[in-house]
Order: sequence, then structure tokens, then C-alpha cells
Amino acid sequence: MADKAIVCACEDVSVHDIEAAMARGHRDIESVKRYTGLGTGPCQGKSCLAGCMRICAKAGLPESAQVPFRARPPLQPTPLADYAGLPLDGVESFRAPFVPAPGRDPAPSELAPREPLPERADTVIIGGGIMGLALAWNLARSGAGKVLVIERDYLCAGASGRNGGGVRAQWTTPTLIELAKESIEFMKGFAQQLGINVWLRKGGYLFLAHDDETARRLEDSAALHRLHALSTRILSPREALQIVPELDERRFISASWNPDDGVVFPWPFVWGYADGARKLGAQIEPFTRVLGLDVEGGRVTAVRTDRGRVQAGRVVIACGAWSPEIAKFAGVEMPNRPYRHEIVSSEPLKPFLGPLVSMLGTGLYFSQSMRGEIVGGMGDPDEPQGANQASSLRFLARYARALTGIMPAVGHVKLLRQWGGLYDLTPDGSPILGETPGVAGLLQMSGFVGHGFMMAPAMGRRMAAWMGGARDEIFERFTLRRFAEGRLERETMIIG
Amino acid sequence: MPEPFLIHVDGEPVEAQPGDTVAASLLRAGITTFTRSIKYHRPRGPFCLEGSCGQCLLRVDGVPSVQACRAKAAPGMRCERQNAPLGNVENDVFRAVDIVFPGGLDHHHIATFSRTAGLLALEVARRLAGLGELPDTASPARPGKAQTARVAIIGAGLAGLAAARAAAFALGEGVVVLEREAAPGGSALLNLDPARPGSAQSFESLRAALGAGARLVCDAEVVGLYPDEGKGLLAVRGPDGLTALRAERVVVACGGTSQPLPFVGVDRPGVYAARGLIKLSRRCGVLIGAPRVRPGPAVPREGAPKLAVVGEGRELELCSEALRRCGYEICAQVPAPLVRRARGNPVRALDLIDGQRLRCDGVAIALPPAPQHELATSAGAKARWDASLGGFPVEVDERGQTSVPWLFAAGSVANLPPIESGRVAGAAAAAFEDDHG
Repeated sequence: MADKAIVCACEDVSVHDIEAAMARGHRDIESVKRYTGLGTGPCQGKSCLAGCMRICAKAGLPESAQVPFRARPPLQPTPLADYAGLPLDGVESFRAPFVPAPGRDPAPSELAPREPLPERADTVIIGGGIMGLALAWNLARSGAGKVLVIERDYLCAGASGRNGGGVRAQWTTPTLIELAKESIEFMKGFAQQLGINVWLRKGGYLFLAHDDETARRLEDSAALHRLHALSTRILSPREALQIVPELDERRFISASWNPDDGVVFPWPFVWGYADGARKLGAQIEPFTRVLGLDVEGGRVTAVRTDRGRVQAGRVVIACGAWSPEIAKFAGVEMPNRPYRHEIVSSEPLKPFLGPLVSMLGTGLYFSQSMRGEIVGGMGDPDEPQGANQASSLRFLARYARALTGIMPAVGHVKLLRQWGGLYDLTPDGSPILGETPGVAGLLQMSGFVGHGFMMAPAMGRRMAAWMGGARDEIFERFTLRRFAEGRLERETMIIG
Repeated sequence: MPEPFLIHVDGEPVEAQPGDTVAASLLRAGITTFTRSIKYHRPRGPFCLEGSCGQCLLRVDGVPSVQACRAKAAPGMRCERQNAPLGNVENDVFRAVDIVFPGGLDHHHIATFSRTAGLLALEVARRLAGLGELPDTASPARPGKAQTARVAIIGAGLAGLAAARAAAFALGEGVVVLEREAAPGGSALLNLDPARPGSAQSFESLRAALGAGARLVCDAEVVGLYPDEGKGLLAVRGPDGLTALRAERVVVACGGTSQPLPFVGVDRPGVYAARGLIKLSRRCGVLIGAPRVRPGPAVPREGAPKLAVVGEGRELELCSEALRRCGYEICAQVPAPLVRRARGNPVRALDLIDGQRLRCDGVAIALPPAPQHELATSAGAKARWDASLGGFPVEVDERGQTSVPWLFAAGSVANLPPIESGRVAGAAAAAFEDDHG
């Protein structure tokens, strides 16, 4: 045995690994957890978080940041079969719109970088999710001047760190199909370009149809996919069983299969783009809050933050479901609405499940991560609107019922960790891009519902090119103006 | 008198005693390597022996990753050790990963230099990933229940029972105490401090509480605590399935979790939580350190097994004394900062920073248990690092109320004296009326 001082015995994380993560700038406990994997195994941190904090505190983590990472239910591994049996009326959830807790601590975070913000930048990107960071890297690469990214929390705190990692080209609008194709191609070379593994595993996507109407939708979209040179095929239940033998063939009537789709590990995209952009001179500033936008003569002139004011000729709003809050600072109304989506991860199992499987009718989807966990989620038609990222028991009960229904073999498999994130829903399910009517220099990059993650590599490139003067029709077609003009662009192949 | 029976470990018979946990049977038979670790395939055996760490997971009767320290042994039970791809846990060839990467395998940056190398790494990583295989059989949904309570108290140790007594005295009824173990008492049952007979006091409060209308449910583990419309929604796991329990107020009094120390070799088989070893001895009559034995007449051991106890302060003193009373010989009591590394598999020696080598049959770690903040903080309560305590006590005001209005905490969870803080939190929870009425 090698001389390792193991802190997290579930995931084999050593003292050295924690120190190395901190040296790379992952100082807060949520980032240390995500970068090292500490506390993500069967014990969920009960036996390692204290040991980790001994090391972090000694390394100078500010006192205000010496808090536990957010504990995620269940607190003990608990079988899917147990959740599947919960009476749904017993877990009926809160229907009133979620009201966020009043104001956070207004003092700047002690985790914010020590150096002051620059007085001016050519482009300020608000939102350090994958959209903003992919744009920052592409802008920095094209020599577009000083780029500054402002993120109010740790990187990965928002939807980019909370999604299920699915990437697919099976969409129903040509724009999304093309964006996804380019993104997937880029992901294949991400490690060589940006120096960090994203573990793209092309296990395919298997959409299941439970009724005739859904089956017809799958056939129509497969026809469109063929026009775009995708290898999507319609399968019978028997054929689908050859791909996933554990499925219950009585539960679906047909399937749509694309072997080129896959799953990735989402977090390294965020870190890879951030580091890559930094190396090219961009500044990424986490733990920094935007307090206002200055607009003079119909033009955005500066961003005000809790660490000072930054003058900028161009300001990009890339805050996902939080984008309307930022746009309000410039007096602009946006139609994006936040809706919670929940995900749960199981105990790690040896590989058995190749593709990501989705039931279009119920919104259920699940895949097996590179670490062996079954990671899945399910939309809830009764979910109220609101920026609620909490976890619910109702979700586990619904998900466990649906999953053990379509795949009974997993009944004894235990769930380890659940979390919630926000879909950034627009009235037509399509993104909001380009100029903002009435405020020159304020640019939009949001409204990607639940699939922004997989579109970001291509979006970042195209947005940077458009900002550099290249013509691109999507920045005219998907503007904020279309909602006032009634020109909606509907995408229907949305999970959940 | 109940007879011993046989269970099977990787196909070989192992003798079990009535009342054994699976871990107890294996340790009595001298089996210390329960599994291989997920990344480096290092040998792993039980550490906490109380169901909180993840080091003793076995495949039991076709179900993957079952906690051996919590599962009761039963005649004919089939136990399989996991994560040795070629089937031999004692000599797993994949331990080469540990040796080839002595400084650690950086999965973020390995093989990023070329796409082909990346694809190869992906294939290898995918094959080595995971712990257990899929279950042998499907499990149908286990029907659960939905219940309500006015005050739910999590944990029936001294703090929880004191809270139950106070809440039941105020409300008369509608108070439920949920205990994950088969009997109430919590850490008081360890009787660590002979000068303070904890269990006697705890039973006294329990009796009074039950008399006043509090209901005690044992074998009821709270696995989730969800904020829901200004109340708590608890997922409670019992022997028959889950119960969704809606409680108007909740008192978290579930004690602490044994912690390891970050020295080289702490993860090896043969390093245990001191409190876990005390429980193992009291409940199942097992002392660790036995050589591997096959079923048959017991071979008497020469002398008591020797333990090196590593820890801090009073916990080190009290646990060493209690372990001595269990029948161990304590060969050394070592303050935590003096340890350099543990040696052997299972651990048979402890090296100190002054160069001394202590020979032993095992190592016990005696740190004060870290507050079990997880239920409270997962529901939004605030907790902050306390370096002197080595954990994150939940922050409460003078009434035991956390930053979440309907949620109270008492005892070790909040680093407070159990009986007094339990009484205060129980009374405050009973008196609490929130805006939702």
C-alpha cells in the first residue's frame, strides 16, 4: 500500500488532494468537495468533512467560510423501493409560490478575491456559469479586449453545477440540432484544448414513448434528425431491450435511439473554461454580487458590484433563471421564469447501463455516471414557479415509482444524494440572445430552459464571433423583442 | 440457549452468534478486509461500527453495498466482498493502481494530452468504476405510511428524552421520539464515565416522558428532514419501509459521529473508532485482533488483545478506560499530533513522530464525536466550524431554536449539555407557534 493519508475513505481523497485543490484556487468547501469528490460517496461526508475542515482551516480559509458543505438528503443510503412505496398524498408538497428568504448578508464575501476589480473592462459578463465562461474564453481567444466575469457564488453553484450531464443532438428545431452537434464535437477535444477531462461517454440516448402520440412525435423528429445527418433510429421495445435489458418492455411502445449522444461530467467544463479564459487574460471573479447597472443615454455604461464599480461598453447577462433580476437593474423586463428541477444520485454500481434513458411522457430520465451512480430526475407538472433550489421528498417518491416501474431491477439500489436546480424557462422554450431593445450594449445570453449546458460550447463561440462583428441569424431571430412581436420559436423535445 | 449458526463469506462458512451484526461475525472470525476502496483498491474494513462511515459495505444476499455493521447476521446469509474485479479481495491485483500512483491519481488531468489516450482512460475508468453489482432480484415497492405529529424529536439519547419529557409535559400528546437503534439511550448506554451514570438518568426521563404522552419509536432512522410549509416533513426509515411524518416542530438531538484522523494508513483495516469497539464488545461480545479462525471449537487466545488508543483529552482517557473494562490491553494512549502512521494489514503497529514503533493488535481512535449536524443543516439550519470541538455544532439561540423557526436542536448536535438543553428545546418547541398557525 502506498503512503496515503486518506481523509475521505469512500472516495479515496487524501490530505494531499485537498491541499492540491486549494492550491488550484478551490478554497471554499463546496468547491473542494466538487473538485476532489470528498464527501460524495456512501457516507456523504459524515466521516470526512470534519477532517477536511481541519486542513482547510489550517490553510487559512476565512472564518465566515468555515461552514459545512450543504448536506443533501437522504442522510443514510435508502433503497428506491422504500421511496417508491411512499403514499403520494403523504408527501404532497407546498403549492404556494416559493418566496426566497429576505436578503443575504450585504457584506462582501470573505471568499472574494483580494485584489480590487478593474476600473473598466471592454466586456463584463454577469454570471459565471458555463454560458458566461464559454463566452469569456472565446472572447479572450479572439483578442476582444479586457473581459471580466462576475459570479455571485462559487463556480458551479448554479444550473451548470446542478444538471444531469446529458448531451444530445436529438432536438426538434434545426437551430438546437446544429448547436448541439457543434458542442458535442467540441466536447470530444475539450481535454486537449482546455487541459481537463470532461469524461464524455457516448452511451447514446434512448427516448421511450408510452403512447401513440409520443411515438408519432419521436418518428417526426427522427425524420428531421436524418435531414441533419444524425443517426437517430426508431426501435421496437424488443430492440430497445437489446440496448438496456433491464427495461420493462410492457411500459413503452417504441423508442428513439441515437448512439452518438452521451453524458459528461459537468463541473470540469466550468473549471476548464474559467482556467482557460484566465490564462488568456480574462478575469473571473467569484463571490462577487452585482448591485446595479448604470445606463446613460440609452446605453449601458457600468456595472456596480459589492466590490466597486466597473465601467464597461458591453455587458452580457448570462445568469440563467436569475437573468430577469439583473435586467431589472437596467429597467428591462425579461420573460424567463425559474422552475425547480430535482435530481438524485444512487450508490455507485459497476457499469451496466449504457445510454441515458428518458420517458418523454412522464419526464423521467436516468443514466449511469462515469462513477457508476444512477443519476436521474423527473419533471413535475405541479411544480410552482420560483427560484427554489431545495430538495423534496415528493420528488423522491415520484422518481422512485417511475424508475422502478420502467426498470424493476433497481428496487434494492440505494439513493445517496439529491439536489435541486433551476430551469430557465421562456414562453416558447427557446433562448434569448442578442441586443436588448432600448439599452445599447446590454447583451442577452439566457433562456436555455434545461439544456444550456450542452449548448454552451457552440453558443460561446457563436456569440463571441457575433460580438466581433460576424453576422449570425440566431442573434436576430431569438431576441427579447420577439416576445413583444409575437414571433415565438417553439422547441418541444424538452425533458420534464 | 440460542445456538451459533453459519453465514457464508465469499462461499466460505463463518460462525455467527445470535445477536451478531454481520461485521461482528466477520471480526470474531478474524476477517478484517471487508472490501477494496473505490479508486485505489486499498483494503478496507469497518471503522465506525455505528453505521455512519462507508467502510464495511458488503453484498448481502444479493443486495449490493449493505452496511455490515448494521445488518443482523442470519443463518445461511450469503455475504460477498465487493470491488475486487477478479474475485480475490485479500489479494486484489488492482491494488497496483495504488502503487503505480503513490502521490495520487489526478483524474482531472490524466491523459489530457491526446484524444486517443483520453478515450483509453475513459474505457479503463468506466470498467473500474462503481462498487456493487446490480441486485440479484427486483424489489417491489415497499408500502410506506403517512403520519403526523405536533413535535418530532430525533434521537432518544439523554437530550432527546429530556426534550420529549418537556414537550409532552406541555402538550399532553402528539410528541414522538424517533430512535435509530433498537433501544433508547444513545451514547449514555456506553457508560463512558463511571462517575456519571448516564443511562440511569436517561431512563428516568424516558419513563416520565412516556407517562405524559410521548411515543417512543425505536428502529426508526430519520433519513431526510425537509422544510415544508413552515413545518418539517421527515422521511423515517423503519424495518417495514418509509414513513412520511409531518411534524409542526422538530427537535434534532441525534448526537455525534465518530471521526477518524488524517494520518498515513488511517484507512487500513484494523483502525477503529473507540466508541464503535466499545459497542461491539458490549453488544456482540467481540474483541478485535483475533487471528483468522474457521468454524469449530473456540481456540482460546493467549492474553488480551492489545490496542493503541489515539485521541484527544478526556475522550482519550474515558475511552481507554472503557476499552480496558471490555477486556483489551491498552498498550499506549497517544495524543493525536504524535502519530506518524499506521503499519500492516490489518494494522499491527503505530509509528510515532519521535521514531517510536508501538506493536499492537489494532488502533482505536478516540476523538469527541463530531456533532451530527446533517439533518438540521440539510433543512437550512446554520452550523459553524468549532476547531476545539473538531466539528460543526448547529447554531441555536437560548431556547434551542435554530435559524429555521420550526427547527430546534439539543445535546451534542449543538454542543450543549444534553439534559438541560434537551429540556429547554423540548419546552420551546412545544410552546412555538409560527405565522402559519
